[in-house]
Amino acid sequence: MQKNIPKTATVLAFLLQADFTTQWRNRRSFILVLLVPVIILFTWKSAIDKIGAAFAFSTAISIGLVAIGLMGYPNSIARDREKGVFQRLRVAPVPRWSIMGSRLVVQLAMILLVTLCVYAGGYYFDHITISPAGYVITIFTALLGGAVYLSIGQLIVGLIKNPETVNSTARLIYFLFIMVGILGDLGVLGVQIKQLINWSPYGVVKAILAGGMDHAKWNKDTTMALAATLGYTMVFATIGIRKFKWSAK
Amino acid sequence: MDIQHQYVLQVADLQVHYGHFQAVKTVAFGVRSGEIFGLLGPNGAGKTSTLSAIEGLVRPNAGQITVAGYNIATHALQARAAMGVQLQATSFQAELTISEIVRLYGGIYGVTISTGYMQQLLEGIELAAAAGKRYGQLSGGQQQRVSLLIATIHQPQLVLLDEPTTGLDPQSRRHLWQRMEQIREQGNGVLLTTHSMEEAEAVCDRIAIIDHGSIIAIDTPEALIEKHRHDPAVVSVSRKGKITLEDVFIGLTGSAIRA
Repeated sequence: MQKNIPKTATVLAFLLQADFTTQWRNRRSFILVLLVPVIILFTWKSAIDKIGAAFAFSTAISIGLVAIGLMGYPNSIARDREKGVFQRLRVAPVPRWSIMGSRLVVQLAMILLVTLCVYAGGYYFDHITISPAGYVITIFTALLGGAVYLSIGQLIVGLIKNPETVNSTARLIYFLFIMVGILGDLGVLGVQIKQLINWSPYGVVKAILAGGMDHAKWNKDTTMALAATLGYTMVFATIGIRKFKWSAK
Repeated sequence: MDIQHQYVLQVADLQVHYGHFQAVKTVAFGVRSGEIFGLLGPNGAGKTSTLSAIEGLVRPNAGQITVAGYNIATHALQARAAMGVQLQATSFQAELTISEIVRLYGGIYGVTISTGYMQQLLEGIELAAAAGKRYGQLSGGQQQRVSLLIATIHQPQLVLLDEPTTGLDPQSRRHLWQRMEQIREQGNGVLLTTHSMEEAEAVCDRIAIIDHGSIIAIDTPEALIEKHRHDPAVVSVSRKGKITLEDVFIGLTGSAIRA
């Protein structure tokens, strides 16, 4: 008897439905991810005139992206791998790329949501507005920037199998990005560290976000930052995918 | 129907290596339509590696595996569509409800699940009242029932069950045996791995005993007992003077505890 194999698009639709449902059921952790950038926008209210709207927006979005890529994605992948969720899907007639593809689409949707919430928070708390083109370009740059952090998340789950170790490593890197990133970017840690931060994944993502918001100021350095963003994504994703094991055993 | 199609699973000259370690050394067997076939072996004998190769979870170093006529290496999706798998570990998203899991896997296997059919499926595993309950909230026995339902949702020609009764109470175990017998009655094949000799004797039509990566015996449970009844290694481990399948198993694989 010949078995009916559904089309890949149909399978992907079912996987997406399941993954979005799972994300919705874990909405509390997503609300926490969302709270940090919104709180930053709220607390920086009085400093917006000094630091500029683009700096505030790009920092808030960057922090949201770091949280999704480093805290959300690797932890959910490590946990489901440990439970054998992926192995169960792999023994079904499902193209393997679609299992991860569906997970990544959900994360990209979360990035979009964070960006929109930061726009709303910026307008509500700080009365920040940018040009319509700036809003659109920033969505694209946020997706590109989110890809860097997702690729770092992939690298973490590619190199580490144990879910607890994945969690603690992701927290450590998250803390480093946020603390060193913000302080270094403000120049508190010195010129050399500021230079280093500018060309780190944190710095290049922030640069393309800021460049997207005020595209009149897009310059050679921003283009270099865009190239570095793509380069980081490719390198981290390639290593992360190559080293990734579907089973935690 | 030619001889090729009487077998829903054919494993020929299978070899699985992990680095320099040979987990499976030239294993060959077949599972026929309407047969429950038991694969028995001590820990580390090569059962899981053999099963993983059939499921497509590990790539064999040599040999050929055919499921319902489809070579697993060249027609992986067709072969996987023809088999249903119940893995040892808990394996569904804990946040999804039972009905959401059934819908997800129904969709993946190309089975349309209407509301009425969903009700019928869940009644079949006595979980209709728990349709909205999350998988993570179910007991071990309930999770096993869901897992078996998913493994058979597309009425596959071959069902692979990896130690399905481990940790189940006697009622749940009997229920599972009945489900296996139903699958056999429908003309489909079952490949079962188990450490329970009682289970193997109760439900398996044929048994293969695997040790150190090779099959050392293959026959019906009764024929295996009869064949080795006077084997000194078997007689020396028998208890109460009656030779059982467990005596044959220990006699053939040794009494030493495996890792």
